[in-house]
Amino acid sequence: MIESTAIMIAIALGMWGYARSRTDDSAQRGMTLGLQTLKRTLPVLILAFAIVGYVRVLAPQDVVRSWIGPDSGIRGVLIGTTAGMLLPGGPYVVFPLVAALYHSGAGLGPTLAMIVSWSALALLTVSFELPFMGWRFSMLRLSLGLFAPLLVGLIGLLFITG
Amino acid sequence: MGRWIPDRTTLFLIAVVIVLAGLAGMQGGLPAVVDGLSSGANELLRVTPMLLAAFLVAGLTQVLVSREVIERWLGSSAGWRGILLACLGGALIPGGPYVYYPIAGALLGSGAGLGVLVAFISAKNLWSITRLPYEFALLGPRLTLIRYAVTFLLPPVFGFIAEAVFGSKIDCIREAMR
Repeated sequence: MIESTAIMIAIALGMWGYARSRTDDSAQRGMTLGLQTLKRTLPVLILAFAIVGYVRVLAPQDVVRSWIGPDSGIRGVLIGTTAGMLLPGGPYVVFPLVAALYHSGAGLGPTLAMIVSWSALALLTVSFELPFMGWRFSMLRLSLGLFAPLLVGLIGLLFITG
Repeated sequence: MGRWIPDRTTLFLIAVVIVLAGLAGMQGGLPAVVDGLSSGANELLRVTPMLLAAFLVAGLTQVLVSREVIERWLGSSAGWRGILLACLGGALIPGGPYVYYPIAGALLGSGAGLGVLVAFISAKNLWSITRLPYEFALLGPRLTLIRYAVTFLLPPVFGFIAEAVFGSKIDCIREAMR
């Protein structure tokens, strides 16, 4: 955890230094944009972590394990894929929730399937896609995209040690 | 902040928190309700330094990668080279669906190939550089590394498959938008 924080801070400082070395106001604008995003997402972030806290307290280990646990097999991957499609919101909401489920006993396969399915197939995103790309394109991309969480979930199942 | 209007996601999350708090209350009374909140607050505090850095990285990426450069790249290349460039463009382009779908739509209208469009959107979904810091901070390095490793080949492969199998249908797809 401390190493990860250090890596992230180092990357931020490196990018900030590079932005500073440009003669425009990149560094200033980048910081402002980051802070704006933080401010905008703060309510959602707080709610997401309240959910994380309750998942811990309610400790639904048995439920999580039987639905999407390491031994849930293909069924777990399918449930993870479906859940990922339905998860609302951006990375600030989805990643803490998925992490909480993982720590409550979800298997690696279903967890990966959930992340990838949310990334590639989120229904909320499709509602943006339709008006710009048309239904033919969306159908094609979604049917290709459906392979992603299933494939990744199956790979995850093979590394059951997780 | 007086005019803060919650969107649908926020309302949905509020509802989930209330339901979970109710469940906790039924199991363990008021102490359990408080426990859940303080456990969540602790977890949030624990990741705060990393999150602050992640927001800074995301903001700087947005400034350092210009949308015009990516649009020019994608508009001017085709074939396997175009598909690989599209993957790179999708990985680098910052912003949510309200940013990259208008770009993809414009490219579709101006004659981009199917493989390029599928690769661009798939790479945005699976290789996104602006999402990486959040994934790293909130899911942890192990899950993030495994996730990127197992999906690494997918965007170009999807682009090639789309082009090889359905590439000739692009006019039909473009027609659906008129």
